[in-house]
Amino acid sequence: MIKIAIAEPSQMLRNGLADLLRDVPDTEVVFSTDNLNALFSRMPALHADILIINPLLFEYSHRATLRAEFDNHPELRLIALVTSYLESQHLRQFSGIIELNDDLQRVKSTINQVVNTLQSDGDEPDTDPLSDREKEVLICLSKGLKNNEIADTLNISVHTVITHRKNIVRKTGIKSVAALTVYAILNNLIEEKDII
Amino acid sequence: MDSAMNTNPYLSPKMKMADAINQYHSLLTVLPRLGIPLGFGEKSIEQLCTEQHVSLPLFTLISRVYIQTDYYPSIEELRQCPMNDILQYLQQSHQDYLENKFPHIEQHFNALLEPMDKKYSTLIVNFYKEFKKEVVKHFQYEEKVVFPYMRQILSENETDNGEHHHKSAFQQQHDDIEDTLNDLTNLLLKYIPAEVSSSERVDMLLDMYALSNDIGKHAMMEDRILLPYIQYLESQSHD
Repeated sequence: MIKIAIAEPSQMLRNGLADLLRDVPDTEVVFSTDNLNALFSRMPALHADILIINPLLFEYSHRATLRAEFDNHPELRLIALVTSYLESQHLRQFSGIIELNDDLQRVKSTINQVVNTLQSDGDEPDTDPLSDREKEVLICLSKGLKNNEIADTLNISVHTVITHRKNIVRKTGIKSVAALTVYAILNNLIEEKDII
Repeated sequence: MDSAMNTNPYLSPKMKMADAINQYHSLLTVLPRLGIPLGFGEKSIEQLCTEQHVSLPLFTLISRVYIQTDYYPSIEELRQCPMNDILQYLQQSHQDYLENKFPHIEQHFNALLEPMDKKYSTLIVNFYKEFKKEVVKHFQYEEKVVFPYMRQILSENETDNGEHHHKSAFQQQHDDIEDTLNDLTNLLLKYIPAEVSSSERVDMLLDMYALSNDIGKHAMMEDRILLPYIQYLESQSHD
């Protein structure tokens, strides 16, 4: 589920947008607000993937660097909700733009494009089966190895192990090690006797 | 002052209960937990709540959590609700999961696993058993620790004496339950081969999606109602 937060001063727009988003599959509006104070106090707990925000909420002098305000959330993607003229250099900080007269189709495709950048850290499409390296990591995981042990075994960095793990979870839709182990056995990657 | 219901864009007290359920059918699981029986004819939400002694603000609060994913009730809204009833509701939900929802899913298991290679079916069964154990443990923790603490702080707040404990750091981990349920769903959906006409599997998946959604709402209720309210009460008792 993609978690979306909305920050927009107009209640009509906020509610209207939230309504449109109900028709975008796999998304959930987790928070909406009309002001930055509420937004920033809520952000840490929200774990939002996407923030749709009206750049006008920021004073002009802060607009050029507004992305920096979200430095604590490097994974967060920003979408600008544009209600009046904004300078293009300001808009460049956003992963997508929604304009007032966008129809549902257009809003959907904007969200989907941003969602896609969110889901694939690389350029791999989601339909790829697990790569050989990912299978190796999965096998190690099923055997109960920790990240640093996997890194040692496969001679790669811990950071790379984590990236592989993220990709495994993204592709399979399975998060827990217990379920991934079941997956590995079902796919004949390991034998049941290999599990500790 | 506006009642909570008047600011609800989705439901109004005068709305027929049947219309509300037809439109938002996930609310169907809420009714028995509140003690509202089906067969209510043309009665409105307000009429039914009065008749069944269910607080209208409470019904509104719970319904909004179900309907509106971005709903975070204000302290004002929470104060209108009988908090003991919310605890009662959450406890009823646990009971409903353990006595009805999970057994219902388990009923599909036999038919589902029989044609499967024994090697695989054992895996799935064991995975499910572990998961169920975690769920039971989690519910017990809430019922033995979180809810009694909540009741205690509520009664202290009424009498306003006694020493105050500060345990607002209750960590709710329903996310794990939802995640594991989703894992199981994906295994059954994506990775275990099935016959074309595996209606049993389809039924089971539909049940699991419904349960996952309901547990998600349950978690929201604890995160957005229970915890903020505990924190509010604790901050009050500082004064």
